[in-house]
Amino acid sequence: MTGLDLAAPQMQRIERDGDVVAARQIGRHLAAEIGFSRPEQALIATAISELARNIVSYAERGMISFAAVDAERRQGLRITAEDRGPGIADIHAAMTDGFSTGNSLGLGLPGTQRIMDEFDIRSAPGEGVTVTVVKWKSR
Amino acid sequence: MDDIIASSGGRHGPPGGQIADQLRWFDITETDRRQAEALAVTADELAEQIIEDFYAHLLSFDDARRHFRSDEQIARVKKGQLKYFRELVTAALDEDYVRNRRQIGQIHERSGVTPTLYVGAYAYYLHRLGHRVMDRMQDDPGRALALLLSLIKIAHFDMAQALETYVEAREATIEQREREMSELPTPVLQLRDGLLLIPVVGTLDSYRARSLTVKLLEGIRDHRARAVVLDITGVAAVDSAVANHLIQTMTAARLMGASSVLTGLSAEVAQALVKIGVTGEALRTAGDLQHGIEMAERMLEI
Repeated sequence: MTGLDLAAPQMQRIERDGDVVAARQIGRHLAAEIGFSRPEQALIATAISELARNIVSYAERGMISFAAVDAERRQGLRITAEDRGPGIADIHAAMTDGFSTGNSLGLGLPGTQRIMDEFDIRSAPGEGVTVTVVKWKSR
Repeated sequence: MDDIIASSGGRHGPPGGQIADQLRWFDITETDRRQAEALAVTADELAEQIIEDFYAHLLSFDDARRHFRSDEQIARVKKGQLKYFRELVTAALDEDYVRNRRQIGQIHERSGVTPTLYVGAYAYYLHRLGHRVMDRMQDDPGRALALLLSLIKIAHFDMAQALETYVEAREATIEQREREMSELPTPVLQLRDGLLLIPVVGTLDSYRARSLTVKLLEGIRDHRARAVVLDITGVAAVDSAVANHLIQTMTAARLMGASSVLTGLSAEVAQALVKIGVTGEALRTAGDLQHGIEMAERMLEI
């Protein structure tokens, strides 16, 4: 049942490649509104792309949500990618450059961690994956 | 509109696992089923008259009338409806039932019955039935209301099945369009002897990347090309997956004896890819198309 996900304004369901592009656009737009520079916007869009593509490739469907955050007079953008897919058995391995259970470069998760300021991943086999990342605006 | 609101067997629909969840979502209990079933006799007796009234109502709309070609067709559809509404009060609400309802939804969607028409027909039926049941059970209006509320729950569950099918059908159409767009032909342009230019436009998923690779390799073979410029100015959403596809495509070109240059990567995206960890050595890139072509021309001279 998906009926009860009373959607927050900034959510994008992720089921296919078209949704990846849509999520990027939402994120980029929000990042521009918050006042991120163009290179930072590109980093954010790329991170969203990596997270969204992971959902499409490994979990089939999931959700990406966006929120503007404020802390210690700093502004940022928080992005949460959630799915109910098979989950990750070995998070440590998944966070290693070049590790992939699919036929990819294996840069998605570690690369995303590199380009964002905060990175949190939670998963257990059979319980899906939740990745939360934050990018702070440089002062 | 032949089979509209008529039931028939089918092999579509979701797996049964979630039906229990759905019933819980609609708050349909055993009591509700029993109460709806208690309406079976009344519904049977009244159905024919209600459906007659409904068709009089329906046929007063020009749009709806256009769907009907003959009286026999109307008679057939009426019979189907009778069965449909009888099933509503007695249905097992199991996997077969959901499959059947979904198939009816598909038929409706295909034949152009709009959700408005469908929900409106339902509302009409429930409304008429409600009035008659209240009339008949004047001595126990409380019970009549309870029975009808149970029926309304089940009716909504039933409607949801059909409406889900509508949405699924539309989504399938959208996906089909997306697929068609991603199959936009990728032109292979010969700039000069031995030098090809391939502009890539749209999204580069693995399916599209495969066909790009095939086109590129065929182009190299057909034109005896030794250098290729791949321009990705028009590619949406460049990330490590797209980079991976490009690396594989360019590696395949190299195995065919052609060197390739990638152009059209914006400075911001290039930076982001490097930070993510895509290494420059796997992808030979040039700042813009002109430089890319110059670079490729130099490769030809070697």
